[in-house]
Parts: sequence; structure tokens; C-alpha cells
Amino acid sequence: MAEKSLGQKLLGVWNTKTIVAVAIGAALFGVLMCYGGIPVTTNTNLTTAMIIPVVVGAFFGPLPALVAAGVGNVIADLIGGWGMWFDWSIGNGVAAFFVGLLPVYGAYVTEGVFNWKHAIIYAICVVVGNGLAFGVITPLFTTLFYGGDLNVTFIQAIAGSISNIAVELVVGIPLMFILAARSKSRTNLKEEE
Amino acid sequence: MNNRFVINYTPGPTYLHQLSGFTKVFLFIIMTVAIIATYDVRILIPLGLINLAEIISMKPNWKPIIFMFLFTFFTVTVIGNIMLFVVSPDAGLNNCGTETIIWASASGRFYISKEWLWYVFAVFIKRTVSFFSVMAFALATTPSEFASGLNKCGLPYKVCTIISLAYRTIPDIANDFVDIRNSMMMRGVELGKKASLGKRLKNNVTLLVPLIMSSFGKVTNIANAMDLRGYGKNKKRTWYAEKEPTRADQLVRGLTIALGVLTIGYLIWSKVIDPWPAKIWCPFSDPSLIRQVSLEESFFLFRWLKQLFNH
Repeated sequence: MAEKSLGQKLLGVWNTKTIVAVAIGAALFGVLMCYGGIPVTTNTNLTTAMIIPVVVGAFFGPLPALVAAGVGNVIADLIGGWGMWFDWSIGNGVAAFFVGLLPVYGAYVTEGVFNWKHAIIYAICVVVGNGLAFGVITPLFTTLFYGGDLNVTFIQAIAGSISNIAVELVVGIPLMFILAARSKSRTNLKEEE
Repeated sequence: MNNRFVINYTPGPTYLHQLSGFTKVFLFIIMTVAIIATYDVRILIPLGLINLAEIISMKPNWKPIIFMFLFTFFTVTVIGNIMLFVVSPDAGLNNCGTETIIWASASGRFYISKEWLWYVFAVFIKRTVSFFSVMAFALATTPSEFASGLNKCGLPYKVCTIISLAYRTIPDIANDFVDIRNSMMMRGVELGKKASLGKRLKNNVTLLVPLIMSSFGKVTNIANAMDLRGYGKNKKRTWYAEKEPTRADQLVRGLTIALGVLTIGYLIWSKVIDPWPAKIWCPFSDPSLIRQVSLEESFFLFRWLKQLFNH
């Protein structure tokens, strides 16, 4: 496969396949957000939905992961009906962008490439992304949009990012190894253009 | 699970259901902007009543709506305000600018002021109005109308396809989810309250792998079917769900523009012409006594950092 440029890796290739995958990722995110969660504090769940951006990111790149998480959160808000929290949707999107950086640093999970070096970079991305998204961006938009109290939002954000980081590390890394191993056994087949 | 969905897949019979997608999306966007930009109970209560009237006019199935409202009320309002009481009893001073203490604990660490109660009330009103507007929009709009309306607002049609496709697949994914969960439970994987938290999380993960595999396995099929029908070939596309605007549409669009103009007028009035000195309007505080509280004083992280640097 031809080496892609950095811009292409960041933006992803927006063909029909990507669009469908992002849509399905968003739907999965929404369903898991509504039904696959264990509440921690208000507005935050220990949810397995956070794994979806990792998978979408591994297959298609960070921007598709961002769109899947952002749209997924809006859908979760609509079917869950707890009101629109754009602040959390934006935060989740930003976190998903960092989590989905996998192909940018060379972890081509679709081609079976994922080793411990990638796992460590992945872990750093998860911590930095969640810290930035829920430590800075979500509290900022919460005060801007809804006038919520900064202290409470910050505590919720810390609880949310800790539970997200836990899920993304404890579940995400083994899942990436599983997906890479599955793809590896199929890489001897070549797709003809 | 099915009776918990509020979104519709087919348009209903009432007046609001019959409006075109663009009208609904336009109304929802302006309404959301109005709710977010104004933080004044005097404006929010009428907006809430309008949205409530919209919901009532659609004759919805009330059971899931009431359930969701109570759920949100409990998690966000009750628990959130207990946290607020513990973390920042000075929220009243920070937002209203004055403080009239009506109860205090012996140490003085915890106290309740009139302004704190007013702040709690204002936030509750804001969240409730936000809830009503989302609910009204979710009840009135089908996924295709949502996508076509967003496209008409200028969003690229590929993003709109993502939204309508995601909606379209939710029932399938929910069915798969239930199937996988049932078969897992039949094999003795405990997902209910009997298992401990760690075990439940682990079992939820074992549920996830087959769900991800089966869902993403469909991607190639759907993408091929769409490609074969010529999806993405042209720069623009038309929408089956977008109708010619009727007289009702024009009326609602006119009212929406009026709402937008009123919001801008209110913002100019409240920020430039007659600015209220505190963050939110409060009937108990005298404008001449209001004190501006800086972010360094109100946000505990900044207070800690300041102390750290002073040492």
C-alpha cells in the first residue's frame, strides 16, 4: 500500500466506506452510551462507548473518530433524551481525535501492526487527549453555554476523564492486539484496484 | 427497550410533524442559540412554555418522556446540587454578586444564601428548557428530515448522510445488542446487579467484541450498495424528505426569524444598553451593591495555584 501523507492520515480518506463506518460507529457510540453504561457521577458514565472512537480511529484515522464520537454523543442525547449537552459532545470529539491518532504514529491495526511501543504511545495519547478535552474544553464550554458552576463541572470532568482513561486503557489495548492479530492473518490477500 | 425510544422514523399526523425538515432544524438551532445565549429566567420561562406547548400539541407517548425527565432531574439536579452545596456554597455570590445568608453550619464552612437558591433555580430552569426543546425536536423530526434540513442549512451532504445512516442503524444495533446479551446470559455471563462492579465491567467488555465485529462487518456491504447506486458521484444531492414549503412552514420560519431577532435585541439590551452588573439577573440583589467576583476567586484550582505561588 502506498504511504499516505501526514495530512491524509489526520483527515482520513472520505470515501463511501468511511462514511458508512463513521455512521455505524456513531450509532454504536449512541447505543452503548445509553445502554452499556454504569453511572459514576452526574453527567458521567463508566461507559464502554469510549472504545468505539478507538476502533474507528484505528481503521480510518483521527478525524473520522472525532466525527463518530461527536455525532454519536448528539444521537445519544437525542435517544436518551437527557437534553443536548454540546459541551460534552465537543469534549468527547476532541478526546476521540487524540485517541484515534493510531495510524499517525504507525500503528496500522488494519494491517496487523500493533506492538508494545504503539501501546505506550497510545496510552500517552489517551491521557493527554482526555485531560485536554475534559480538563479544559468541556468546562470552558459548560460555563460558556450553560452557565454551570465551574467547580462542580471540573470535578465531574475529572471523574469522567478518569473513567474514560481507565476504559480506554484496560479495554482498548487488549482489543487493539486482538484486532491486529485478526487482521494479520488476512494480510496476504491483496485488493486489486 | 423499544418503548424507551422517543425518536420517530415515520412522520406523525399533527401540525408540527407536517412541517418540512428545514423548518424544524432552523427552529431548533435558533431555539438552542436563544437558550444558550440568554441566562435570564424572565426569558427562559416563556421559551420553556413554548416548547412545552409544542410537545403537548404532538400528543406523544408520555411514559418515556416523564421517565427521562425524572431520571435527568435526579442525576443532574439533585446530585449536582448536593455537589454544588459541598464544593461551592459561594456560587450565589459568584453569579449574582450579592449574598444574603439564611443558614450556616457551626464552622461556617457550609452555608445557604438566598442567592445560592436563586442560582440553583436559574440553572434548573435553563436545563429544563433545554430538555424541553430537545424533546420537542426529537419528537417532531424523522432522521431523514433532520439530515435534509441540516443539508439545507449548509452542512456538507456527506456529514448529513452520516447522521441519517447512524439513526437508521440504531434499531439494528440495538437488536444485535439484545441478541448478543441474551445469548451471553444464557451461557452464564452475569450482567445484572448480582455481579460486582469489576466483574460487570469485564462482562460488558466480552459483550463488546462480537458487537463491534458484527456491526463493522456490515460496513463493506452497505458501502458497496451505496456505491452501486451512484452515491457520492456529484457535488450536490436532493433529499426525498425535503418538501416544498407550505403556508405553515412560512409561518413557522417567520416566527423563528422573529425569535432570532428578539434574542439579538435582548443581548444588545442586556449587554450594551442597560448592562446588569452580575452574571445572572436576580430579584434579591440590589444592582448598586453588586460586587464582581473574578475567576481567580471563584475557581478552586486558581485559588490553589495562587497559594502555591505565594509560598
